[in-house]
Amino acid sequence: MEHSHEMIICIVNNGFSDAVMDAARAAGARGGTVMSARGTAGKEAEKLFNISIQPEKELVMILVGHEIRDGVLHALYTAAGLGTPAQGIAFALPVDAVAGE
Amino acid sequence: MDDSKARKNHTAPVGLKLLVTIVARQKGEFYADLIQGFGANMQVVLLGEGTATTETLQLLGLTDKDKAVILSVLRSEKASEALDTLARKFETVRNGKGVAWTVPLDSTIGVAVYRFLSNNPEGAGTLWNTRTK
Repeated sequence: MEHSHEMIICIVNNGFSDAVMDAARAAGARGGTVMSARGTAGKEAEKLFNISIQPEKELVMILVGHEIRDGVLHALYTAAGLGTPAQGIAFALPVDAVAGE
Repeated sequence: MDDSKARKNHTAPVGLKLLVTIVARQKGEFYADLIQGFGANMQVVLLGEGTATTETLQLLGLTDKDKAVILSVLRSEKASEALDTLARKFETVRNGKGVAWTVPLDSTIGVAVYRFLSNNPEGAGTLWNTRTK
């Protein structure tokens, strides 16, 4: 089943939501909503992957048309992916109905 | 067991939807109450912040970036009713503009949880109900 919209959720370190929205906007997104969140990855994971995990996160929720979803996800990957200081992950969920555009 | 009862107990369980509603922060409670009327037993209100550029905000006459993000779990048929009502309220309620959408839920763990989320205390229309008879 083809959906007209997708909800993209991007979780980044605190302070990087602007970078996320700039990248998303450049890829065609119109707006998003930012929420404060706390990451819970354990100490073992930090040792295992030899990384440091900052618990303060920002969660950015962006509603996009399905035709620009891949473009936005790719923009987020390059601008705020795990390889950047934002240490972001992003994923998309199918949206089956929308009100209020 | 009469025929109609048996058939009722063997219909497929209803699907669930996650309804995401984003509105101005001071309208969060109003919309949460509204959605509760559609049988949402579990709702969470999160505090969010809009990211629209200042030009866009001025263009739309908006001054306030603080948002309430409401997550509600609803039966699918109630979710579409709720969306229709929300669409109307977004147009008519003063300072009540917002956006809402639904995401299908795939699975849940536990019969009690499912009955709770689908607002179905008797478990009518669920297969497991037949076993308790």
